[in-house]
Amino acid sequence: MNAIVFTALWGVIMMIAGAFVRSTTAPRYMGMLGIILVFVVNAMELTSGFSLFTLPTMDMVRSSTFNLTFLAVVFGITFLIFLLNGRDIEKIGKHKFEYFAILFFILCGVSLVSTFNNLLLLFLGIEIMTIPLYILTGSDKRNLVANEAALKYFLLGSFSTGLMLMGIAFLYGSNPVASFYINNMQFGVGALPVLTVIGMLLLLSSMSFKVSVAPFHFWTPDVYDGAPTVVTSFMSSVIKIAGFFAFLRLFENAFGVMHAQWQMLIALLIVATLLVGNITAIFQQSVKRMMAYSSIAQAGFMLFALFAMNDMAREGLVLYSAAYSLASIGVFGVLARMDDITYGGFNGMGKTHPLLALGTTVCLLSLTGIPLTAGFLAKFYMLASAVQTGVYFWLVVVAVLFAAVSAYYYFRVIRAIYFKSPEGNNEGIKVSRSFEWILLLIACLIIALGINPEWLLGWMFI
Amino acid sequence: MQITTLLFLLLSIMAVGAALMVLFSKNPVHSILWLIVVFFAISGHYLLLNAQFLAVVNIIVYAGAIMVLFLFVVMMMNLNQEDIEPVKNYRLQILGVLSGGVMLLIIVLAVMRLQETQPVQLKVGDAGLITNLGKTLFNNYVLPFEISSVLFLSAIMGAVIIGRREED
Repeated sequence: MNAIVFTALWGVIMMIAGAFVRSTTAPRYMGMLGIILVFVVNAMELTSGFSLFTLPTMDMVRSSTFNLTFLAVVFGITFLIFLLNGRDIEKIGKHKFEYFAILFFILCGVSLVSTFNNLLLLFLGIEIMTIPLYILTGSDKRNLVANEAALKYFLLGSFSTGLMLMGIAFLYGSNPVASFYINNMQFGVGALPVLTVIGMLLLLSSMSFKVSVAPFHFWTPDVYDGAPTVVTSFMSSVIKIAGFFAFLRLFENAFGVMHAQWQMLIALLIVATLLVGNITAIFQQSVKRMMAYSSIAQAGFMLFALFAMNDMAREGLVLYSAAYSLASIGVFGVLARMDDITYGGFNGMGKTHPLLALGTTVCLLSLTGIPLTAGFLAKFYMLASAVQTGVYFWLVVVAVLFAAVSAYYYFRVIRAIYFKSPEGNNEGIKVSRSFEWILLLIACLIIALGINPEWLLGWMFI
Repeated sequence: MQITTLLFLLLSIMAVGAALMVLFSKNPVHSILWLIVVFFAISGHYLLLNAQFLAVVNIIVYAGAIMVLFLFVVMMMNLNQEDIEPVKNYRLQILGVLSGGVMLLIIVLAVMRLQETQPVQLKVGDAGLITNLGKTLFNNYVLPFEISSVLFLSAIMGAVIIGRREED
């Protein structure tokens, strides 16, 4: 509850500040201050269960150490984005304060979708998360590609929201107690009513759309490619993991009893997503677009949480969220500072910018899942949870194979960094000394999580 | 004859008459204006059924917002030329007959089962009263209600960001 109120409040504060403060660096520092504040109040609720507000929520939001830990990850990631790319957010356009305010509103939506206990709040949370995102995608108004991306995202996103609303209506009509509360749907284990199945499939499609699971992924490459890179960084980390968390929360609580009946469906989605994401990523020429497809491929791994749905999967999802987001903001953060975002742009970075090259390499290794990085343990948790369920063992084999395929396109960047000679002095890469150190901090976090994940997962059990 | 029955008849005649006028007007702008009359008549029906909120929302949303949108489209695309021959498509006619037939089927079925079901009664029932709506909204659904303000605020801000002219 703390996080929901504080993110919304800070968004309003930043919006009003935009009318009075003329300074050009103030938005960045105010944003960081706000995110630290939100992180602290959230940690307070996490450690002591102390909520600053007692609102008549009618049990519509439920906090547990699980979702509060997840929120801590989200706020931590956002803080790192502000730290790394704060200047790039200000550079999107003229409305510096407003961009940060919008980001805080999005965080409010994220807090909602990770604590909701009622389908109405799920809908509101998803909307608060995505509508500001359409705006941020199109905020670079002079750029035709960005405009196209924003329009595409808006039309397809609204359509999938429509599907979600329809699914909610079907669920409301078909559950025996006519309730919006996901912990009180009271579906049995036997044969399902047709309306429930329709509602569930509609919700499955719309949530799959939001987290770009194949075959609902077609918007992802264009939108990720067209949006300003710093927005893509936010989209591929915070929005993606929040979507997955809501996905898991919804299906675990509302449809958990009939897990066995839709497990096969998730398994098929996993295979499709891994196939489409990994194979298409190989053929991309632009690293930004490759990262978009790689985010689809990573979604396939995150889907294992829904497939397995046991304790290990829950821990795995939190770890995967942290590992994937850290690596993703690292790579996108570097891309935001580069003029040439093809593979060629990375040529010889190891010689001209050694620290930057090191940080990027660690991020890419983590995305591939090389041991000692967080990415490896995250993938391990996901696969282990799937093995624990004892069914569909072939799925794990398929996932490992595709993880091997993914090494090809991630290592292609590493090869460009270290084994190609630079053209000129890589003037296209504009980074400051502090940027390099922050990137190294992210790399250190990735390795720390890869060595001792308890450092993060321990929060779930206090 | 009671006053409510009289009102009902009056509003029904108004609604059906205006609906026919929507169909038979040559000028699209006139059609839209007649449609507004239809919506007002239907709002009157809602009032008779004690559904105050529905009546008000019907006027604000349909007669207000959506009709303005229609007018904009008609005027922007300059459709109000009476000499444009409507496209007579064979397939479209079949589809029209089909959808009209389905509608007729529903109405016939509803009329046939009139005795089994409880027909709507005028002036009774309090589900549509604004008092009850307000009580539910501010007791059971106060959290979604308040949080939707964040959604609207961000949408308004987005409209300003996207729409405002930026001078270099």
